[in-house]
Amino acid sequence: MERLFHILSYSICMSFTKFLVYLLLTFFSVIELKAQIHCGLVEIVPNTTVNSLLTFDNFTSYGGGMIMNSVAKIRIRVQDKAVVDPLCSWSLIMIVDNNPGGGTPANEWEELLQYGSGSGVNPPITEMEVRVRNSCSTSPIDGVFQAFTNNGDIIDIITPLLPVTPAGSCALNVNGPGDYLSNYDEFNFDIDIRVTPNFNYNPGIYQLNVRFHLEENP
Amino acid sequence: MKKLSYLCGALLMFGATANAQLIDEKDVTVTMDLQPVLQLDMSTPDQIEFVFDEINEYYAGITKYGATQLRVSSTVSWDLYAVGRSTGTNGPEYWDQQLEYGNNNPNAIPNLPLSLLELRQAQANNGAAAAGGTYPDYSAAFSPSNTPSGQNSLYVNGGTSTPPSTNDKYIGGHAGTSGIPGDDFLPGGSYLTQTGITSNYFYVIDYRILPGLPAIFPMAAQADGTIAAANPLNDIESANAVGNYAEPGVYTMYVQYILLEDQ
Repeated sequence: MERLFHILSYSICMSFTKFLVYLLLTFFSVIELKAQIHCGLVEIVPNTTVNSLLTFDNFTSYGGGMIMNSVAKIRIRVQDKAVVDPLCSWSLIMIVDNNPGGGTPANEWEELLQYGSGSGVNPPITEMEVRVRNSCSTSPIDGVFQAFTNNGDIIDIITPLLPVTPAGSCALNVNGPGDYLSNYDEFNFDIDIRVTPNFNYNPGIYQLNVRFHLEENP
Repeated sequence: MKKLSYLCGALLMFGATANAQLIDEKDVTVTMDLQPVLQLDMSTPDQIEFVFDEINEYYAGITKYGATQLRVSSTVSWDLYAVGRSTGTNGPEYWDQQLEYGNNNPNAIPNLPLSLLELRQAQANNGAAAAGGTYPDYSAAFSPSNTPSGQNSLYVNGGTSTPPSTNDKYIGGHAGTSGIPGDDFLPGGSYLTQTGITSNYFYVIDYRILPGLPAIFPMAAQADGTIAAANPLNDIESANAVGNYAEPGVYTMYVQYILLEDQ
């Protein structure tokens, strides 16, 4: 009986020691990682995928190109925590993706279907241009069409790690807490897309994905 | 127990990572549908008439300058060719005889080859560098009436619209899909965006018919236009017998212009 008591107490002690070790590890890891969180909420509203189709079936659109204005609206909401952290700020970037896992060359649109003999070349990613704009022109690239070159290329809309520029200033690089409901001109970004294929590429159906990535600054 | 401990640790670490910087994302997927467009605009009379009622017209032939203008717009690499066709009343490679004049002299042949019609394009074919024949296009000047030549003779292929081979004539581009611009195709483009007095997307076509005397149509040739013992001209005498000539009458045929993606 005494021996059993010793075994039990030893097990409890060991379990308790292990528990303490885990508790300490968890505590430090959580404290260390959660130290990066300055904001209470960071989100794009809505964050559902937008699909747009550009159909080129006449010479006007081939030669002159097609623009889809406001193909998407990136509406941002960034809120402070209950205890306000003055370091709460955010960045917004866009990343192009052509599904390289499917065998797409790095600099081309993903081919979904090809028409005709396919004796020409597939359109390069540079054929798609993206324009970002809002009323306060808060992005340095506001109103100017930008082009990606290769899969994974990044274009900054609001560059990461900038000093905090508070909302309501209607200035360049506004990245403080706020949302599109109270500061629409700074927290809403209209996205325009332009494609001008001219007469150089294989006819077919092609696809590209642009990912808008909102993240709080560490 | 040890494994469970590791699992608990991993879960705790994962939980901690998920609670790091706040992130949200939104995707915009752009799909582009490039539909092929090939457009051939043609300005030409509904009917081009050649009336031979003077001796000098038989000797010198009748030429219709600039009777047809072809304008090309294409979003893909392309070839353009002309082919002689008829409804086949007298056979697939002959003009349709609508009416005959005079008596039925056995030497008067009603089967006039479609290839007796000659074409001349004002703008040379700049997409035929890899052509294998003697005459890659119809850009040569009409040859004198006393020098029979098939260099402008219209391409005919058994009354079908089958594309010419590498030895035959194209107006723009040529047979083959080398992928090298200028070798066997002309790249996509449109006459609308071209400047200057010449363009690979704009062709002016002249027509000539030269019956000769006797009316044997000496310029009619085989598809590749060359003349050899094994490949003689296609005139009335060569195709039939010495002493034969074209039966007087009214004949019709048509020229089909075909614009297609590089073949």
